[in-house]
Amino acid sequence: MAKNKDNSRRDFIKSAGIAAAGLALLGGGIGYYNKVNGPKFTRQPRFLRPPGAIDEETFIYACIKCGLCVQICPVEAIKLADLDEGIDYGTPYIDVREQACDFSCDSLQCVETCPTAVLNFKPFEIAGGEALKEYAKTHDATKPGFNPFSVQIIAMKSIVKMGIAKVNEETCLAHQGNGFKGKPRGNSFEGIYRSPNSKTGKPAPLSETTFDREICDLCVTECPIGEKAIIMSVDSETGKTIPKVLEGCTGCGVCVMVCPTQKESIIIEPIKEESHV
Amino acid sequence: MFNSSKKKTPLKAKEKGEMPYAKAGISFKEWRDTKPKTNKWRNLRWIVLIAVNLLFMVSYLLGLSVLEGSLSGSRAFGFYLMDTYNALQVMTISIFDGYFWALTMNFWIGFFTILTLSILGGRTYCSWVCPYHLLAEFGEKLHNYFVKKKKIKEHTYNIYLRFVFWIGFLLIALFTKNIVFEDINPVGIISRSLIYGPSIALLWIFALLLFEIAYSKRFWCRYACPVGATWAITGQAALLDIKFDLDKCAHCRDCQDVCLVPHELWFVQKGKATQETHFTGSDCTRCGLCVDVCYGDALKFTVKGMDKIL
Repeated sequence: MAKNKDNSRRDFIKSAGIAAAGLALLGGGIGYYNKVNGPKFTRQPRFLRPPGAIDEETFIYACIKCGLCVQICPVEAIKLADLDEGIDYGTPYIDVREQACDFSCDSLQCVETCPTAVLNFKPFEIAGGEALKEYAKTHDATKPGFNPFSVQIIAMKSIVKMGIAKVNEETCLAHQGNGFKGKPRGNSFEGIYRSPNSKTGKPAPLSETTFDREICDLCVTECPIGEKAIIMSVDSETGKTIPKVLEGCTGCGVCVMVCPTQKESIIIEPIKEESHV
Repeated sequence: MFNSSKKKTPLKAKEKGEMPYAKAGISFKEWRDTKPKTNKWRNLRWIVLIAVNLLFMVSYLLGLSVLEGSLSGSRAFGFYLMDTYNALQVMTISIFDGYFWALTMNFWIGFFTILTLSILGGRTYCSWVCPYHLLAEFGEKLHNYFVKKKKIKEHTYNIYLRFVFWIGFLLIALFTKNIVFEDINPVGIISRSLIYGPSIALLWIFALLLFEIAYSKRFWCRYACPVGATWAITGQAALLDIKFDLDKCAHCRDCQDVCLVPHELWFVQKGKATQETHFTGSDCTRCGLCVDVCYGDALKFTVKGMDKIL
C-alpha cells in the first residue's frame, strides 16, 4: 500500500512537471512573440475593431469572446476572428469592404451589450448627456412625445472613431475625372446599408441601387455622417472635384463598401494606438 | 474532492447475508436481472444538453433574445451569464493592469449568477450543458471498445493534475496579458463553432478527441479542463448531489465503471463506506450514469435538505 502511494505520488509529480513545463513553454512562447511583434491586431491592416473599442492591449484580454456584439448588430457587420485571420481568435472585427457599420441601429447596440466594456459605453453616455443638456438650452425637452435618444445618438455617433478614411488618388474615379454608372459592387454583392437618401429609412442591399454620376461621388453621398465627415471639393491645383475627408470621419467604412473600383479606392486607416472613441 | 467522511474509520464490511440480493433470497445474478436496463437520466441529460446548445444557435439564427451569446458569456432573456473561469482570467489580468474598475455591472451580475449556480449544483454544468462532454462520451465508448478488444492500453493520471492546469492557465493569462486558454478551450470553441459557424480550431478538438479515444479515457475532462475544475472548486458544498445508500448496495462497482470521476464513488467498494449514507463530492458531474446502472437503487439524485419535502 505504502509503495503504491509512493508510486502514484511520483507519477503525479512527473505528469504535473510535464504539464507545468508545457504550459510555461506555451506562455513563454506567446508572451515573447507578442512582445517582439506587438499585439496581432496592430499587424493587420484590413480589419477594424467595432465602435467604442478600447486600446488593443486591454482589448485582447478583457474581451471574453462571447459574440454578443455579433448577435446584436442588425447589418451583421461584426464577425468573430478565426485562427487564420491574423487577429486574436474569437475577438470581434469588422471587414468594412464586405459589410460596413452603417449606424442604422441608431443606438450603438454592440457597445451597449458588451459585458466586459471592451466596447466601452461610458464616453458615449457622457457625450449623449452633454448633447441633451445643450439641446435643452434652446429647445423644450420636456415636451410630451420628445425622444431624448434622438438627440443623444447624433452626439454619440459623432464621437465614434474606428479609424479615418483615406482616398487612394491613383485609382479614385473622381481623381481621374471619371463618373460612375451602374451597380458599384455588382449584382451578387451581399452588403447592406442605410443610404442617407433612402426613402424607407431601413438598410437595403447595395446591389439593389443603380447609380448614375457624372463625377463619382458615392463615398460622399452615401456617408451616414454627412458633410462633417467627407465632402466633394474642388482641388485648387488641378481644378478637379474630388472627395475630401474631414475630421468628423468616424471610420465606419460605408464609403469603402460602396466604392465601385475593382480594388477599393478609399480605405479606413485603423486607429490602433489609442481607443476607438 | 476534499471529503471529510473519507477520513473516518470505515464501517464493518457487510456480511453476505446483509447483501440486498440475499435479503431477497435470490442470487446476485438473478437479483441483477430483476432491474430493467434503463437510460433514463442519460437520455434526459442528452436532451437538455442538446436543447441548450440548440437554443443558443436558434437565438442567433432567428435573432431571438432567448439565449444570446455563447458559452463563454451570454444573455438569457436579457440577464447576463458569464463563464467563471473566463471571468477569473479577466479579473486576474485586470487587477494588475488597472482595468478592474472598468468592468461593468453586467460582468459582475453574470459572474455571480454562474458562481451561485456552481455553488448550488457543483459540476452539473459539465455533463448537462458542455458540448464537448457529449462528444467525449462517444469517444469514451469507442475507447472502451478498443480496450476490451485489447487494441490499446488504459492510461490514467492523477486527478489533481487539473489544478496544475488551472493555475497554469491563470499564470499564462497574467504574464502574456492575453486569455490564451480561450484559444484551446473546447467548450468555447465548440460553442462558437455551433453558433457562428465552424472554426479551424475544431481541428484541435478533433485531435483531442482522437487522443482520448486512443490513449487516455476522457483525458481533458478528467485531468485538464480548468473550466470543470472551477465548477468543482466552487461546488464543495453543493446541494444537488448523488446520495448513496449502503444498505441497498451489493458492491458490484458497475457504477464506478461508467463514472467519469470514479474516485467520487469511493464508498461503493466493500468495506470502504464510513457512514450508512454518503454523498458524492464536488468532482461529480451529476451525469446520472451511476443512477441508471445501479441495480439496487442505492444511488439516487437528491437535493440536500429537501429530502423531507420531495
